Amino acid sequence: MKHIVHILRGILCALIFVLVLELCARTDDVLSYGAPFWGPYNNEILLKTDNLGKWGKPGARYEKWQLNSLGYRGPELQPGTVRIVCFGASETFGLYEAPDEEYPRQLERELNKLAGKPEFQVVNAAFPGETLPTAILRVPEVVSQIHPSYALIYPSPATYIEITPRSVSPARAPRPESLDDRILGLRISERVGNLLKSALPKAVQTRLRQFQIERDTTHVRVMQTLAEANVERFREDLGALVKSLRAHGVEPVLVTHATIFGSALTPEDRDLLIEWRKFYPILEEGGFIDMERRMNQAIRETAACEKLYLIDAANEIPPGPNNFADMVHFTTSGAEIMAADLAVGLKPVLFPQTYGKNLAPSAGRSPASIGCRSSARLGVSNR
Amino acid sequence: MNSQALLYIIVLPIAWLVIRCFHATRSRQIVLLLTSYLLYASWGIGFLGLLILSSTANHLLGRLLKARQSVGRLWLGILANLALLGTFKYARELLPLLGRTQLAPTIAHIVLPIGISFWTFQTLSYLLDIYRGEELDPSFTEFLLYMAFWPTVLSGPICRLSSLLLQLRSTENPTLNDAVRGMDRICVGLFMVALGEILANGIHFDQGVDHAFQIFSPNFTGPDVWCLAFGYGFELFFNFAGYSHIVIGAARLFGFELAENFKAPYISTTPSEFWTRWHMSLSFWIRDYLFLPLAMFNRSKLWRNCTLVISMLIFGLWHKGTPLLAIWGIYHGILLVLHRQWQELKRRLGWDFSGPIPNLISWFITITSICLGWIFFQSNALTQAFDMLRSVIKVSSYSMITLPHSLYFLVLVLVLGYLGTLKLGNLVTGRLNSFSIPTEVRFALYSTAIYVGVFHSAQTQAFAYFKF
Repeated sequence: MKHIVHILRGILCALIFVLVLELCARTDDVLSYGAPFWGPYNNEILLKTDNLGKWGKPGARYEKWQLNSLGYRGPELQPGTVRIVCFGASETFGLYEAPDEEYPRQLERELNKLAGKPEFQVVNAAFPGETLPTAILRVPEVVSQIHPSYALIYPSPATYIEITPRSVSPARAPRPESLDDRILGLRISERVGNLLKSALPKAVQTRLRQFQIERDTTHVRVMQTLAEANVERFREDLGALVKSLRAHGVEPVLVTHATIFGSALTPEDRDLLIEWRKFYPILEEGGFIDMERRMNQAIRETAACEKLYLIDAANEIPPGPNNFADMVHFTTSGAEIMAADLAVGLKPVLFPQTYGKNLAPSAGRSPASIGCRSSARLGVSNR
Repeated sequence: MNSQALLYIIVLPIAWLVIRCFHATRSRQIVLLLTSYLLYASWGIGFLGLLILSSTANHLLGRLLKARQSVGRLWLGILANLALLGTFKYARELLPLLGRTQLAPTIAHIVLPIGISFWTFQTLSYLLDIYRGEELDPSFTEFLLYMAFWPTVLSGPICRLSSLLLQLRSTENPTLNDAVRGMDRICVGLFMVALGEILANGIHFDQGVDHAFQIFSPNFTGPDVWCLAFGYGFELFFNFAGYSHIVIGAARLFGFELAENFKAPYISTTPSEFWTRWHMSLSFWIRDYLFLPLAMFNRSKLWRNCTLVISMLIFGLWHKGTPLLAIWGIYHGILLVLHRQWQELKRRLGWDFSGPIPNLISWFITITSICLGWIFFQSNALTQAFDMLRSVIKVSSYSMITLPHSLYFLVLVLVLGYLGTLKLGNLVTGRLNSFSIPTEVRFALYSTAIYVGVFHSAQTQAFAYFKF
């Protein structure tokens, strides 16, 4: 009997321990982020799902991420401003930057500093996991809500590794939430998981990722490099987005995709490539660098063919951990460089009187030489 | 939390269970030593090699000294240890003087082994104690363990072999009571570290004491500087005293009782009292092995005062060989001299300032002068420190504040809250002793402390004294 009492008391103590941890986690959320005490609290609360896929929930807030009343990250729309809308995925939405330091916010500040008054508003219409097909479908809604004059397109090439049928909006179907993710809806379970993940030595983390990749690719054919069909599909979708925006009276500006990787790979880079591959196991690590190069070339060629302004962030933003928190997502200082780079690139578009429109064709590249389907004059930013 | 912390969390419960299985002292010592080496190696395998090398050499030196207590042998030991410390800790400070000499690139690559200042001072105390004729006869394993003992090897408290040896030889296993007392101390420590973290980072992003020190500009006003001086003083106290609580608690889990390292230093009413309450293991070390032997050389007042300043200068340089830390040490030396002179003056004139009001004034002068000294400790450059002091003495700079209100609020609440808690603690201590906390409530408190200390501060937590 005494033993049973001891065991029961032990179980009670363990229960109290976990419950108090959970209570602390919830109180912390309330105090730190104004989160609701009851109910679920995770990044899913930022999004709603409609017939086109996932979209920002108006007014939602999760930790440092705050959406406005239209469901875009950032402040409310200001009347009487020239609006620039940013299309992209998590790199544009902003993951690791300090609040209000994601590149669209910093770009807005840069442009208004150049203008000397609050003349411009940069609206962040990007979402984590957003793809070009989804963006195309969203154009009418975005344009009717924001009335932008310009659109910055910063596409995420990795979403084209696993091509989905054109009818499906998200490139990757949302994974159903499992007990593994959030044990019985306990907020503390996610924190424990994150803490353990961050505390594991790098070598162990990489090894675990390799195990997972091996498991995920047991019955799948792995690509050494991205198939040309995927690049072609990316090119088509990018062209379609450009056309759709133009049809709605919005002038697109293309931006090439920057990554942490420099010309020579370091041992840390190899670990990062394995980390990246964990999300897209069907492409070998080396294929990611090749994919970036080819996709960026596709962006440059699209810009040339469609006579668009191009901002070559891939070549402008110095690689390395100062500017990137992981493979592709910016740190605050990386976002600052990106914003400064975009502001310089947008100068001739937004301030033609001051900086002039230089539409000189780029050296040695004519629309015909790069295989445009309908060639015309080139448009390159004067930088 | 980093990978080392995770390793500690995994390894220590296992070591605790293993130790409870052993009854032979030597087996327990070996388990403790292997645990300590495993944990220390997680900070760098090279560091472990250096620690083992130093331990072996010093054990040998100790034996030589014990065989014949000669000054030469003592100095050999002292100089060898100071050379080791100097190479790893101070050589980099000479880089600007070396310019482009051949030595410069080699020195630039020297990495500070974690805890070297602490375990080198432990070694020195061992050699000095033997020279003084103390009966210390540690076996090789015991000495290795004394040097590498996992709770203290990283940031102290600096132990004396005489206080640890008997405990190392104890035949008793850690009890459940040890575990409870240890957990209590760890929880208090976690709370304190979290408070230090809040002061460092602020209530709102980038509005804490550390950020203010980083962005300091000469436009900061007098109140701003006072806010930063008090804020940093309490941040460092919460951080280091909290860490010491965790270390003492962790050692207690294994049945070891370590000496206290902090004893409510900010209630001190004189600078001398402050140094009997702040980083006690180091200040007592300096007193016993530096100040007292130096003071013995000459009985003159002038020499005694000089000795005080020299001792405090070395205290400052122990942290880091920079001009700022040297000034910080000298500043405290001068405070101690001034206090001594004041006491003499009172004695000579027969003044008696006892009672609550003089005590309050004395406390106020002490805490403000101590906190003002932290400016030298935390500033990034001499110019910053002097700019801050200029703001303090410039009357016109008291008309406004430039730091965020939230930082003022935070510093005020934590300073007053801490002092109030001490007062309240004194009132209820007697009653609490007879009140046993039910196990269930204790678990709830542990849980809260672990959340606050581990999860809430998980991203930014760092122990300030790891860099020394």
